[in-house]
Amino acid sequence: MDQIMKDRSPEESGAPHLPTLELAGELDLAVAPLLSEQLDALFSEGATSIVVDLLRATFLDSTALGVLVNALNRCRDMGGQLHLIVRESQILRVLTITGLTDAFSVHNSRHELENGIEELWKR
Amino acid sequence: MTYREPRTSEYEVIEVSFPGSVEFVVLARFTAATIGARAGFDLDEIDDLRLAVDELSVSFGPLDGETSLRFEFFRDGDTVSVRCTREPAPGAPGESPPERDVINWQQARELSEQLLEELVTVHGREIANGRSVAWLKKQREAGKA
Repeated sequence: MDQIMKDRSPEESGAPHLPTLELAGELDLAVAPLLSEQLDALFSEGATSIVVDLLRATFLDSTALGVLVNALNRCRDMGGQLHLIVRESQILRVLTITGLTDAFSVHNSRHELENGIEELWKR
Repeated sequence: MTYREPRTSEYEVIEVSFPGSVEFVVLARFTAATIGARAGFDLDEIDDLRLAVDELSVSFGPLDGETSLRFEFFRDGDTVSVRCTREPAPGAPGESPPERDVINWQQARELSEQLLEELVTVHGREIANGRSVAWLKKQREAGKA
């Protein structure tokens, strides 16, 4: 399925590269199990922080959001964070309604996320 | 899919039924967008209605091959009502229940409830004729369209 793509290419910034899932299209009950599986795979490989790129996602329902919340909790338990890159207004609205905007680390671009990670890395 | 001839141009009913397979829920969202547009909803309201209709199906928990979902969409002027009924599947092959369900349904229902509270005018659940029904009503916001 091309709705979920992994990206492990190294970054040039010097900051630690975080495993990334790029999600596209409508993220609903049909996609949620596959999303959960992909996140599980990253955790199995030792990830403690993960980037979920939602720039090409157009829809997020409660089942897919629940999978992301579970992943967020797992990251936090390991001292990490789940970063979301999102600009789609409907997805931002879902995060706002459910009060999760501040729970995730939300960024509006890859660039903004990388700058944020670099800043943390320099401290 | 069934389309009933409207009593007036302001009233329409559309029915969509499908086997209990997650891939078919997109049909309900598509129909929601269409009837929302006919009710004069703006793009944000149509997006809200699409999501809300999707969430109605979430309220039933996992879908399996032994059930089907029947969505009834009613448009009365600038108001859209939707009823989603979980029914025994009429012998249609659907999905087998997943061996390992990765969805935390309690959590999904809680998130779904929060979303529905915000997205629609009113919503609820009931048992009708021994079958579970989730429903919603959404009215176009005043001053729009």
